[in-house]
Amino acid sequence: MQRLPAWIRGHLAALRALLVLTVLLGAAYPLVVTGAAQAVFNDKANGSLIEKDGRAVGSALIGQRFTDAEGIPVGKYFQSRPSAAGDGYDPTSTSASNLGPEDVVDTLPASGEEGRQSLLTQVCARSKAAGELEGVSGGRPYCTGDGVGAVLKVFPAVGTPTRVVSVNQACPAVPFVAAYQGVGVECGKPGEDYAAGRTVPVRGNATAVLPADAVTASGSGLDPHISLAYAELQAPRVARERGLALPRVRELIGEHTTGRALGFMGEPAVNVLELNLALDGTIG
Amino acid sequence: MSTSERRVGGGLLDPGQLVRSLPAALAKLNPRTLWRNPVMLIVEIGAVFTTVLAILDPTFFGWAIVVWLWLTVVFANLAEAVAEGRGKAQAATLRAAKRDTVARKLVGDAIETVGAPELRPGDRVVVEAGEIIPGDGDVVEGIASVDESAITGESAPVIRESGGDRSAVTGGTKVLSDRIVVEITQRPGESFIDRMISLVEGANRQKTPNEIALNILLAALTVIFLAATATMQPMAIYAKAANPGIPDSLALTGDGVTGLVLVSLLVCLIPTTIGALLSAIGIAGMDRLVQRNVLAMSGRAVEAAGDVNTLLLDKTGTITLGDRQAAEFVPVAEVGEEELALAAQLSSLADETPEGRSIVVFAKRAYGLREREPGELATAEWVPFTAQTRMSGVNMDGRQVRKGAATAVMKWVRDHGGHPTDQVGHLVDGISASGGTPLVVGEVDGDKARVLGVIHLKDVVKPGMAERFAEMRRMGIRTVMITGDNPLTAKAIADEAGVDDFLAEATPEDKLALIKKEQEGGRLVAMTGDGTNDAPALAQSDVGVAMNTGTSAAKEAGNMVDLDSNPTKLIEIVEIGKQLLITRGALTTFSIANDVAKYFAIIPAMFAAVYPGLDTLNIMRLSSPQSAILSAVILNALIIIALIPLALRGVRYRPAGAAKLLSRNLYLYGLGGVVAPFIGIKLIDLIIQFFPGM
Amino acid sequence: MGTATAGALFVASLILALALVHRPLGDHMYRVYTTTRHLAAERLIYRLLGVNADAEQRWSAYARGVLAFSVVSILFLYGLQRLQDKLFLSLGMDPVPDHVAWNTAVSFVTNTNWQAYSGESTMGHLTQMAGLAVQNFVSAAVGMAVAMALVRGFARNRTDNLGNFWVDLVRGTVRILLPIAFVGALVLVAGGLVQNFAAPQEIATLTGGAQSVTGGPVASQEVIKELGTNGGGFYNVNSAHPFENATSWTNWFEIFLILVLPFSLPRTFGRMVGQKRQGNAVLAVMAVLALASVTLTNVFELTGNATVPQAVGAAMEGKEVRFGVANSATFGAATTLTSTGAVDSFHDSYTPLGGMMVMFNMMLGEVAPGGVGAGLYGMLVLAVITVFVAGLMVGRTPEYLGKRIGAREIKLASLYFLVTPILVLTGTALAMGNADGLAGMLNTGPHGFSEVLYAFTSASNNNGSAFGGLTVNTPWYDTALGLCMALGRFLPIIFVLALAGSLARQAPVPESAGTLPTHRPQFVGMVVGVTLILIALTFLPALALGPLAEGLS
Repeated sequence: MQRLPAWIRGHLAALRALLVLTVLLGAAYPLVVTGAAQAVFNDKANGSLIEKDGRAVGSALIGQRFTDAEGIPVGKYFQSRPSAAGDGYDPTSTSASNLGPEDVVDTLPASGEEGRQSLLTQVCARSKAAGELEGVSGGRPYCTGDGVGAVLKVFPAVGTPTRVVSVNQACPAVPFVAAYQGVGVECGKPGEDYAAGRTVPVRGNATAVLPADAVTASGSGLDPHISLAYAELQAPRVARERGLALPRVRELIGEHTTGRALGFMGEPAVNVLELNLALDGTIG
Repeated sequence: MSTSERRVGGGLLDPGQLVRSLPAALAKLNPRTLWRNPVMLIVEIGAVFTTVLAILDPTFFGWAIVVWLWLTVVFANLAEAVAEGRGKAQAATLRAAKRDTVARKLVGDAIETVGAPELRPGDRVVVEAGEIIPGDGDVVEGIASVDESAITGESAPVIRESGGDRSAVTGGTKVLSDRIVVEITQRPGESFIDRMISLVEGANRQKTPNEIALNILLAALTVIFLAATATMQPMAIYAKAANPGIPDSLALTGDGVTGLVLVSLLVCLIPTTIGALLSAIGIAGMDRLVQRNVLAMSGRAVEAAGDVNTLLLDKTGTITLGDRQAAEFVPVAEVGEEELALAAQLSSLADETPEGRSIVVFAKRAYGLREREPGELATAEWVPFTAQTRMSGVNMDGRQVRKGAATAVMKWVRDHGGHPTDQVGHLVDGISASGGTPLVVGEVDGDKARVLGVIHLKDVVKPGMAERFAEMRRMGIRTVMITGDNPLTAKAIADEAGVDDFLAEATPEDKLALIKKEQEGGRLVAMTGDGTNDAPALAQSDVGVAMNTGTSAAKEAGNMVDLDSNPTKLIEIVEIGKQLLITRGALTTFSIANDVAKYFAIIPAMFAAVYPGLDTLNIMRLSSPQSAILSAVILNALIIIALIPLALRGVRYRPAGAAKLLSRNLYLYGLGGVVAPFIGIKLIDLIIQFFPGM
Repeated sequence: MGTATAGALFVASLILALALVHRPLGDHMYRVYTTTRHLAAERLIYRLLGVNADAEQRWSAYARGVLAFSVVSILFLYGLQRLQDKLFLSLGMDPVPDHVAWNTAVSFVTNTNWQAYSGESTMGHLTQMAGLAVQNFVSAAVGMAVAMALVRGFARNRTDNLGNFWVDLVRGTVRILLPIAFVGALVLVAGGLVQNFAAPQEIATLTGGAQSVTGGPVASQEVIKELGTNGGGFYNVNSAHPFENATSWTNWFEIFLILVLPFSLPRTFGRMVGQKRQGNAVLAVMAVLALASVTLTNVFELTGNATVPQAVGAAMEGKEVRFGVANSATFGAATTLTSTGAVDSFHDSYTPLGGMMVMFNMMLGEVAPGGVGAGLYGMLVLAVITVFVAGLMVGRTPEYLGKRIGAREIKLASLYFLVTPILVLTGTALAMGNADGLAGMLNTGPHGFSEVLYAFTSASNNNGSAFGGLTVNTPWYDTALGLCMALGRFLPIIFVLALAGSLARQAPVPESAGTLPTHRPQFVGMVVGVTLILIALTFLPALALGPLAEGLS
């Protein structure tokens, strides 16, 4: 040992340190924690699984889709938030959308080219769909009636407009406004490059009925909760589908609402899976 | 002396000086000269680059930028040139004194005539009245009055004599009377005057430790801003490409930010203000010392003066007036004060020592006794003071009066059959205990010998010293009084003067030990000294100020020489040292703070075309991108000129605690540095918007 | 109670908890790093290591120890990832691709924990717990060790000795991180985090769909991920994942874990230099910056000023319902103010100015309060630079804690300060001028640029959080960001240790009325000002082309 050069000896000490610490921190520590956790919090340590008829149907902490095989929402169930995890609520492919707050211009699908929906259009589309499902208005600020982002490209970028395009509305759609500063608005032609124009999102005068969580994807893509407002909004539909009295459904919502911890942490949230399970267990 | 008068400050800047220094400033455009100042070198490179761009694509905007970039460099050079120019004037005066003199060298007993430059240390030369001393050295034989006005500016001649602490002479000074033999101590070309000339000219000025550190910080800032501007280019190209509908502008094209604008931004961001003024501040700091007749052998010592924690001050001449003075006449029981005063005056008329003089003066002031010339009293027989008798006095009309050291006079009274009472002993002891010096006055009238009373001689603390020491304390400087007195006396003076500590019965060894002890604790020590036995302590101290009247050894050992030989000047030196550092710190802060406003001018000017939202940052509402950029560049250049007087004079310094000083300077140079350029840029913009192409 | 009020209470309760804990914890760490006594277990470890625990090291030996340990760690972690399919508990995962393995190894050893991979589909349980989680501990312990060496530089006089790296490493791990982690892990399991060695369990959902519920030693890794300001999640979505962060109170607890060590270390520093008030001043600088940042991030997110949040009605994209907008913003600020980089919501979808805040937090150099140890030494370097400028303004050679800041000190401090901005700006510029770099962007325009700027800011400052959208598991980004992480970690460490060596050698300068007081609000304000101005001046052009361009439109 002593005959080795100093720098090798230094690295040997480092290697020994890493190995000793790996045994301690990488093996002993997680094993002991696991042992203690399994002994004391067995249910939680194993994923807070919920069983129905003796069969695990999910985790209380992991959201699910309540859609049929075609992806159509099942009416008797409260619906979860939109999800960007895989095809939706896929725990092996968790993800957020990661789209920016000014992502408002779509790439329209053209022949052979797959389009790209901007975050704004995704929000508008979700709003429209959810509105239809719940039988309420799906309109929102910055959204067109046909559920895309209400965004104009104005040409030239600087100076008096000579040409205005509603870029997210693919022809032959009717633009959401007829004219902008006296210039007639065109529909968007797939494949045409509108990058040179000035982007003008148009707020419009719609007010949103659907709450924010109904039209946005969560961070994890596995959000098990919806807001109280979204649950209340869905309640009439679920009651109708199940033939339950609306007050009863509301009561169940209340039972499966977690308030803010200690009164100030987080936001009140309704656990969708637990609520739906409770509904399944309720005879009308 | 009022407080405001003696605050450190420099001479005012004469506008004519700017003009006179212009040629020197232009000469400094040489990149090899500018190499020493990396910040300004970058500006010059930028100026050259933009000149090429402007030639290739001439626009009014382009040429305006070019002109102002060049002016930025010239202004910076001007600052240095002006600072140097002031030194040069002094150097010229000194050079006049450094005429080639002929030396009469002693070889054995013979005298050989050689040129002054050929003298070597150890050579002995003879100098007689009317001759110029050919080199620095010590008087080894004789005594002479010397005119040193060439170096000190003081016209009164000084006495130089062999042995003792007044033996050093300086080459270039003139012997007015008598004949002396001088042993040369300098090597050729390294005379005191040579060193003075190079010092005031700043010719081979070494950067001081602090200046080096500050330069490193400035270099780091320059690198950062260089990186920020250089890396902006690909980002700008991307931004332009992401907005293909935006037409090219003077600031931004498809190839990124234009060269003119990029260089302008860089020059505005790098710390040009402090970079331009840094060396001027250093030169001016030395210059301020020279104006106070202090020669610092190194800039390091000036800086160290600002850091001094402990000031060692000799009691005599610094804290107190040079000599003890009569302060009180205390008569014994049966004698009246008037009678004692008269006797004291009479007995002191023949005493030419300062103490003796002070008794006469005091008698006149306190008792209205007219001073009489010894010749006035024809019958009087004067007994002068001698070290042997330790008494002086007068014999007249059968009456003998004596004044002198207590033991000597009491013995004299006893010898004449008198019996000094116990009261005398008590008075003497009482005065000694209070730190004073008792002199006893006795008389023999006929056959009756008696003691009349006691004169209380006191050290008189110079007026204003207590306040100065209080200031020192606020600055965090501890003052220690050094005295040969006994601890009792020392304590009394120390209390009166308000120094923090004292070293009594101090030997040169004690002094050295004290300095070492202070330095052990990490403290920096400053002291003054003049004697050869002060040399070790002067060498050991961090700031050692030698008196010009002192020995060569002392002047060699110290790192500063006070030509006025005024020990109190140490306090001013400390203030100048501090002022030097404060000026650097304040202008650095100002320089960095300035950048904020420049960003608010230039960033919207560059990018508001592609991202209109960025026009929100144009809070000055500048009229156009071109005028915004040009205004920032002009302001950047003008600030240098505007601050030259401040750099030369130094920022105002008042002794105060660190926290208070910092607050003041932070508000003035930090906050002021953020706010002022907003106003300046807006004003310039208001003017230049009327020019074509803006 | 309104969202804003609840959000403010959430922040206030964190402040209260940190205020209560930082003293005892700081004092505990002071004892850990100053005592001469070894625990029996530690003695055993030292014997296994073959080091003399009582021998002190010069700065260069200390630095060699740090570097050797890190190099060995990188190689080991790289090997473990490449060989995971041959080892047990791999869950059948393939070997990690070489460029991802390199990036991840560097990332975890440098306390960055940038994730160029998706945990649930790339890493087996063994790699996670014996590779990644181990580095979560030791990279934090290394950071604290380096900080302690610097503090010793201030505290000691006329010596070359800065302590013993191996002792600091082992003590930090065994006496500080491990006990807190053990208790914290059980708290998190109580909140719902999983802790097992199970493979994904296939289940049929209520509507008959398939879902695989994953398992793993999550809680034990989650706790040290936050405590050690590491941030590398067990899952791709990090602390947004319900199994990593199950409830609103685990969210609070995780933020607390993130902040607790960095905010306690100033106390340790104050104790070690023998002036608690100096520690308080450093703490105050960190607290002022942190509180301002948390407040602004909350305000920007709650205001939701951008087209999509306006359309939605709140900045809920990428955020979980149980956390809400306000607490997500607080987590985002906390994770970027420290060098953690864990996320419970996705910064890419934040409002432009909210996204700028989390980016600016990192640009501050991770000092408020910064990573464990790294935050303290970064802050001390900034204090040194501030002292230098301020010290000149009081007319003395600048000194901090009785040590003169001369040419050598300011050189090392400047070099330290230069490293990360240059890495960030150069890296971003290279990416923007390079097809591979441009290809990674998910978003277009200024937001796409923000993604790239964010990535290099995060890597160079060893934060590890991502703006999300950027596709980084490409050879170009893995290599470039890996280099940024390595240089952004080890160059500053070398400069800091050299600075420590230079300070320790000095004799102390006694304090006097002329000494710049470095414990008063005045100085705190000045460090805050210098930090903000220097950082703003460095990054304003880049920020103008990214989040500002987007947010001010």
